[in-house]
Amino acid sequence: MSEYLNDNPDVLEVDELPSRKEDNNEHLFENFGSQEALQRKKLLLKIDHSPTSQVLHNIELLDKLLLLNSTPDLISDNENLLTESDSDLNDESIIGVGNESISEEYLTEPADPVDIQEIYDLTAHICDPEHPLTLGQLSIVNLPDIEVHDDGNPEHLAQVIIRITPTITHCSLATLIGLGIRVRLERALPPRFRITILLKKGTHNSEQQVNKQLNDKERVAAACENEQLLGVVSKMLQTCK
Amino acid sequence: MSITLAKGIKLQNDKTWSLDYKRTPSANLLAVASTDRKIKILNIKPNGTKLDDVLDGTVHRKAVRSVAWRPNTDINTVTLAAGSFDATVSIWTKDIVSHVDGDDDEEGGEEQDEESEMDLLAIIEGHENEVKCVAWSQDGMLLATCSRDKSVWIWETDEMGEEYECVSVLQEHSQDVKHVVWHPSMNLLASSSYDDTIRLWKEYDDDWECVAVLTGHEGTVWSSDFETSDNEQDIRLVSVSDDSTVRIWKYVEEDDENDGQQVWICQSTLPKVHWNQVYSVAWSPMSGMIATSGSDGTLAIYKETVKGSGSWEVVAQKQLCHGVYEVNIVKWIDVDGQELIATGGDDGSVNVWNFNI
Repeated sequence: MSEYLNDNPDVLEVDELPSRKEDNNEHLFENFGSQEALQRKKLLLKIDHSPTSQVLHNIELLDKLLLLNSTPDLISDNENLLTESDSDLNDESIIGVGNESISEEYLTEPADPVDIQEIYDLTAHICDPEHPLTLGQLSIVNLPDIEVHDDGNPEHLAQVIIRITPTITHCSLATLIGLGIRVRLERALPPRFRITILLKKGTHNSEQQVNKQLNDKERVAAACENEQLLGVVSKMLQTCK
Repeated sequence: MSITLAKGIKLQNDKTWSLDYKRTPSANLLAVASTDRKIKILNIKPNGTKLDDVLDGTVHRKAVRSVAWRPNTDINTVTLAAGSFDATVSIWTKDIVSHVDGDDDEEGGEEQDEESEMDLLAIIEGHENEVKCVAWSQDGMLLATCSRDKSVWIWETDEMGEEYECVSVLQEHSQDVKHVVWHPSMNLLASSSYDDTIRLWKEYDDDWECVAVLTGHEGTVWSSDFETSDNEQDIRLVSVSDDSTVRIWKYVEEDDENDGQQVWICQSTLPKVHWNQVYSVAWSPMSGMIATSGSDGTLAIYKETVKGSGSWEVVAQKQLCHGVYEVNIVKWIDVDGQELIATGGDDGSVNVWNFNI
């Protein structure tokens, strides 16, 4: 396999990658009345911490039951509304009620800022241009190297700074990887975001050049009109599997 | 001082890259370059702006990055140059109807004017890749074009603007050349580059030579503009950069030690407004004020406290002037004697701004 620029990269397993599941587990510990119950729950989780575990599902269900009469943090108002109308009202009024409430909600909607996990999820599953592995698996994109400044208000500007770690210091594919990340983020994020993509300090021989190129809107715009290049990028943006 | 929106016109869904303005006896023409490859011509009126013409979108195969009206040619025609990411430059022209009958006939005249469309006159090829900017010399006889191929080409044309002969290829920039602009009354050209410098060019013995290199910006220089001045000793240029600064450069003297070279200094850095890339700058020939726009969506207006002093203050700014989108271009426009500002953004809109002092 000598045609690879990097024959033998370090690879993480998919379930080793950071995900929001851990946050959910943290969440389960909230609103828990008795200390004893909390301990028991933590123990249960220790026994089986995998996100798909039946234990976790059961705990989640139990929590939902327990919290039925308090504020339902985990369910958005929207979902609530739809289930209510589902049971009580005929089809026509679902549409009417739904629309009204959504537009009302839009005005009073609490800010929902984008966080680093969201940026990670958008970028870590991009396919490496060389290996049949994701940028997350190759540790090119890492959660601690993502910075987000966003107050969630669609009328305010927001910033994402993402520092990528090429697999080797002379990797000529660094620009392509950066371009893939930029295209993914520009397509997925609302227009209020200003995206900065940098190579992590000391990870590449021509760091400055690559950084400058990745953050030049004119060059990126022109690259996106280059069909050949866009073809390669599109391939990267498909999932690896 | 405040800036208020006089008119916002949404033309397409992708980036508006460039604007250029020209007054004719019967219309105030604003040409618009955009990613959708269709050059649009707006007629800006104090009481209503309309879309006059949409040029053939099949001429360019990629985004149109830059447009420029030819100055001082035959008053019965208007000519436009457009540079595209497809590496070519197109030249468009149309005849305009002049109104000899005055006010009575104005309505009819306008209709006639509407009917005539701009036709493709020439396609200029030569650059290896994306053309970033096109600019006409003040007499309309020279056209400068620049590209990612690191070069600036100077083309000589005839009265009709049909034939283009390349008279010089300037290759001293070490990276993409982002922008070119001519002095409004002299044959002096400034080019701004991804190599963080600005170069000034002048003709010597039938050849164009670099007479000065302005260094100081710590990032790509996106654009520059000359101050309008007839005094050959009084030349100033304003430039904007990726480093988020706005700088004024001043010609000092001919360099005694190096034949043909000029000495320039950075006279001032304008008060900081932008926090991100500044993409466009325009120096008003009417009021002498400077306007800038950039990635942060802010439109800023600066005024020199005493003309020539190099001391500037921010007299007005409008944040998010294209919503949350970046603003790629700012131009001063003279609409029937009233000075306004036009901006173009990534939202595909052109906005026309009123301001009062």
